[in-house]
Amino acid sequence: MTVRMGFVIITSRCIDCDACMVACRAENDVPIGKTRNWVKSSGVQGEFPKVKEVFQPGNCMHCDHPPCVSVCPTGASQKRPDGIVIVETSKCIGCKYCLTACPYDARFANPETGKADKCTFCLQRLEQGLKPACVQTCLGKSRQAGDLNDPESVVAKLLAKYPSRQLLTYVGTGPNIYYIDDVVPEIPEGN
Amino acid sequence: MSKVYTWDQLFSRRQFIKGAAAGAALGVSAGLGFLAPDNMFAVEHSALKTAANESSELQKVTTICEQCVWRCGVIAKVDNGIVKKLEGNPDHPNNVGKLCPRGNAGIETLYSPDRIKFPLIRAGARGSGLWRRASWDEALTYTADQMKKIKDKYGAKAMMFNSTDNLSQPFFEILLKAYGSPNYGTQRSLCFNAMTTGFLYTYGVPQPGTDYKNCKYMIFAGRNLAEGISNNETQEMIEMIARGTKVVVLDPRFSKTASKATEWLPIRPGTDSAFFLAIINIIIKEKLFKKDFITTYTQGFDDLVQEVKDYTPKWAEQKCEIPAATIERIAREFAAAAPAAIAHPNWRTSNFKNSFQTERAIAVLNALIGNWAQPGGLIPDQEINTAKLGVLSHPPFPQAQGIRLDGVPWQYPLVPLSYGVIQTMRDNILSGKPYEAKGWLISRQNPILSIPERQKTINAFMKLDFVAVIDIQASDTAYYADVILPESSYLERYDGLIPIGSKIFIRQPVIEPLYDTKSSLMIYKELADKLGLGDFLPYKDERDLLAKQLKPFSITLDELEKAGHYVVPNFKKDHSKDFEFQTSSGKIEISSSIMAQMGKKAVPAWDEPPRPPKDHYYLLTGKTAQHTQMFTQNNRWLLEVFSENRAWLHTSVAAKLGIKTDDDVVLESDVGKVTIKAKVTEGIRPDCIFMVGGFGHVSKGLKSAYKLGASDSALHKTITDPLSGSSALSETFVTVSKA
Repeated sequence: MTVRMGFVIITSRCIDCDACMVACRAENDVPIGKTRNWVKSSGVQGEFPKVKEVFQPGNCMHCDHPPCVSVCPTGASQKRPDGIVIVETSKCIGCKYCLTACPYDARFANPETGKADKCTFCLQRLEQGLKPACVQTCLGKSRQAGDLNDPESVVAKLLAKYPSRQLLTYVGTGPNIYYIDDVVPEIPEGN
Repeated sequence: MSKVYTWDQLFSRRQFIKGAAAGAALGVSAGLGFLAPDNMFAVEHSALKTAANESSELQKVTTICEQCVWRCGVIAKVDNGIVKKLEGNPDHPNNVGKLCPRGNAGIETLYSPDRIKFPLIRAGARGSGLWRRASWDEALTYTADQMKKIKDKYGAKAMMFNSTDNLSQPFFEILLKAYGSPNYGTQRSLCFNAMTTGFLYTYGVPQPGTDYKNCKYMIFAGRNLAEGISNNETQEMIEMIARGTKVVVLDPRFSKTASKATEWLPIRPGTDSAFFLAIINIIIKEKLFKKDFITTYTQGFDDLVQEVKDYTPKWAEQKCEIPAATIERIAREFAAAAPAAIAHPNWRTSNFKNSFQTERAIAVLNALIGNWAQPGGLIPDQEINTAKLGVLSHPPFPQAQGIRLDGVPWQYPLVPLSYGVIQTMRDNILSGKPYEAKGWLISRQNPILSIPERQKTINAFMKLDFVAVIDIQASDTAYYADVILPESSYLERYDGLIPIGSKIFIRQPVIEPLYDTKSSLMIYKELADKLGLGDFLPYKDERDLLAKQLKPFSITLDELEKAGHYVVPNFKKDHSKDFEFQTSSGKIEISSSIMAQMGKKAVPAWDEPPRPPKDHYYLLTGKTAQHTQMFTQNNRWLLEVFSENRAWLHTSVAAKLGIKTDDDVVLESDVGKVTIKAKVTEGIRPDCIFMVGGFGHVSKGLKSAYKLGASDSALHKTITDPLSGSSALSETFVTVSKA
């Protein structure tokens, strides 16, 4: 089966500390004022004292049908055979079509290069057998990443066991971040 | 005399010199080569990174974080002398492989353009921001001369020393004792004195551990682990919640810990002891306590039975505004989970004058269910279970002359000397009672921003003859100093070794210092030499000291540096002393011998806290996961994830005052007034205003943090718990209006 890289994010384990955002900045030299990933909050919902708040980390969804790739006039935005969506910067002309096309607002124009910039799944780390920086540092093990098609992967095992949801499925991009909101007592061993 | 610089000139970002980056990239020792007068300024981090782009020589160096005081293990990835990435050390128990946002942002602390790059001596009025560059020899000689002058003229007691909770603190204490001053200030009284004294006088242990892994029921009343991150404990809390442990959070504000908890109880500020006394009432009334444990290990149970009989849940409801039925239910659930249940000792519960009583009630509640040294309960803090480092031999210390300025123990008999009461020290600098203070040596602390009533603290500084500050950046306190001795950042220096259980860890430089800075170990040592006290710190350099500390073990310093840590072989944990309580009676003191001796009520009792007057609100302060006390607000990476503090106010209050989120509001207390952006939320009691502490810096040397947000210390009144010495921060009440 082909490799399909993606993320599973367990929202019940996120405390909104933002370590993932700072780790990404360090790993990928993300310029100040921009970010490749985020933690969004639902805000405090309900009325005092019956309130709740949910935190939802995210980044590029490495979609099955990425609109950023189809609008790119130069072929700089590409989907790799393993599913990871990248920008080949030497081909990028900074037209920003892809920024507009992304329904998840996952891209930005790098102020230093003028080119499109986004989550690369930390390719440089994957090549060394390491998890992406955001996954490595996550205190709550909320962020998980791997091959969704490999039944022995942590992400596939989690999805087999718990109900999950994706964001904005109606736009039809086939996002590859799956959110689990249930309590997950134990993270399974796996690839 | 050399040229005089303002902060703007000293730290201008426009003055980046290409040669400087190349020098740093090549790892030029101490950076002296590029610190010529005209190109000695800021080095931009991004430029440094670019300078080393084509390299391939990636090193991994193991060290210890210092973005807060938790001391997590770090593995630094270093590329040709440039620190590229910091990651958690999986072998370190304090963080098991993870770093929090602050730990991840250590690179920006290192490469901040606002680092102090060489010694500075004040060249204008104090606080004017005018400085001149000095050599280390001149700066240390100047500092030593001033300290000697003060000692000769007024006695050693006129010199104050201040440092808290860093790895070189033991050596700072040696310097203080060798100099002979009794005046030692820490930040403890602004933090958790109520918890440490409350548990010390109950169990003989100031800070017992908590077995999160086996705990089935947890009550937090001031330990916000999601926002006050203590890395491994935060991880354990997340796992505990995921496992289904029942977690009850008492907090007037809906904290992030509360958002993850099973149950949030928005308790009225200052009334936690009513809640705990009522829990104790039910546990006694319904005989849910562990009788055998109480008989064997405690004293004073009968007095407690008498004291709490009227503290019914109905009574408590009137005080703490938690329904009586909820209190009863929690009491029964808590007792049913015993001994795998913990009323957490907490941390920053020290917010009211009655907080010592609150902590005593919590300590006693734990004793009633017998969770001491049981799975899922409190863990005895065992000195004997920590490997012992080699020690330095030095001459006997001189007898410190004179009573302490901070009232310990003559005004605060229960407060340990090593904690102190810094806000009283500040007040007595101003009052000149019982004698005049003249000088202050401060290492990596920021009393100007931490002690309540900032203006008073600034006035106290202005009154002194001499102030010296050791820091890596121009803290607010450094800004008001006469001399700044720049410390190397934690990624550029050694500190004393750290034993944790059977393991010994090392903080070591991952790169050479970027600038003309020194480790505190060497600053203390060289200052001692110039004071004629060199024999008290008998080491040549840091490595000599560390080798001496390592002497009892069969590993060399070189080997330790490479390995990052050492496991002492055949180290066995000794639990034989778990039930030998270091209290006056040798038992867990439900009834405190010391309180009885002082003629005070010896069992935990209710002490009514004040309420805000009409149109006033409780001012609550607390932490955020992205910043550490007053230290990280200038870190630009952390400002990206938490840009400034805001005043939280309840929707109903905001509607009444016509305030929306992001509007500027004015908070005013009896002692100060600040303007701050509003955050309107349902997640706070309508009688409270909350702000994260540590913002509102006054130092112009902190370019990014200067005037960002507002300072809680500008608003806080100085109110002290007479028993624990804690600063009762939440007894400050404020008015709110639209700016």
